[in-house]
Amino acid sequence: MNPEPFLQLDRIIHEKGRLAIMSMLAASLELSFTELRDLLGMTDGNLTTHIRALQQEGYVAIAKSYQNNRPLTTCSLTVAGRKAFAGYINLLEKIVRQNKPK
Amino acid sequence: MEPKWAEENLQTIRTLMERSTIYRRALAPIMLFAGALGVAAAAIGLLFHLDSSRQFGVLWLCTAAVVVVGAFLIARRQAIKDHENFWSPPTRRVAQALLPAFISGLCLSVLQLLHEADPEVPKFIALIWIIFYGLALHAAGFFMPRGIKLFGWAFMISSLSLFYILGFFQINFDLSAHWLMGFFFGVLQLAYGAYLYLTENGKNAA
Repeated sequence: MNPEPFLQLDRIIHEKGRLAIMSMLAASLELSFTELRDLLGMTDGNLTTHIRALQQEGYVAIAKSYQNNRPLTTCSLTVAGRKAFAGYINLLEKIVRQNKPK
Repeated sequence: MEPKWAEENLQTIRTLMERSTIYRRALAPIMLFAGALGVAAAAIGLLFHLDSSRQFGVLWLCTAAVVVVGAFLIARRQAIKDHENFWSPPTRRVAQALLPAFISGLCLSVLQLLHEADPEVPKFIALIWIIFYGLALHAAGFFMPRGIKLFGWAFMISSLSLFYILGFFQINFDLSAHWLMGFFFGVLQLAYGAYLYLTENGKNAA
């Protein structure tokens, strides 16, 4: 088996929690912090840590606003994030094809 | 590296992406509200003998308008309570899925309601509305959990069966159209709302 695709996998996205966040955001334009937390069943602290890591890598953008006088934090994928996620999926598909019996 | 690992990861990603597009706001209050209004409208129609096409149309179109406004307000209140966007992507998708069937049903019924003379028109309109409501629920069901698609099928199949009974077999039961409307838009929605109320696990996000 060729290990090359596996070695190319983005380590930031590859982590289970961050992959889940990226997957959710890839399917929506944006999701609020509470939506992400409830959908993924993560704690506030855990989600904050993962989002911060993704934000530092430039994959996720955070927007803070107010709705009905209450703070609203929304997350979305950046262009770089979408590109990295698409690349990650392509590599996974490559690995699956590689593992399929001929 | 496990040979199956990448495949399982892709499946997880697919599931998560699907989950984020699903509308998950509590439906029980909306269904109970719609059902209660359906029963009330049917009772008003039967009590005051609002049997002409125009009276029937006005009563039920007004009821529908109140239900739509009420449903929006309930969903908005839930969003505010949960510190979330009301007009979220899943909400938009559900609204877009509902619209074509709702608009088609409305346009067809308005055309029919102009034919005041035929006393069978309200019954025909009721069946048309039930079919289009079923179609709307089925379409929205692609972005909603909890058996909405099945509920839509139940509306469509029941209405089509009644069409056959009334049209093909010419069995004309002497039943006011308000009974049909009250049963489908009142009793059935109340029953479904009660079922959701008892089984929804408190998840409330869209």
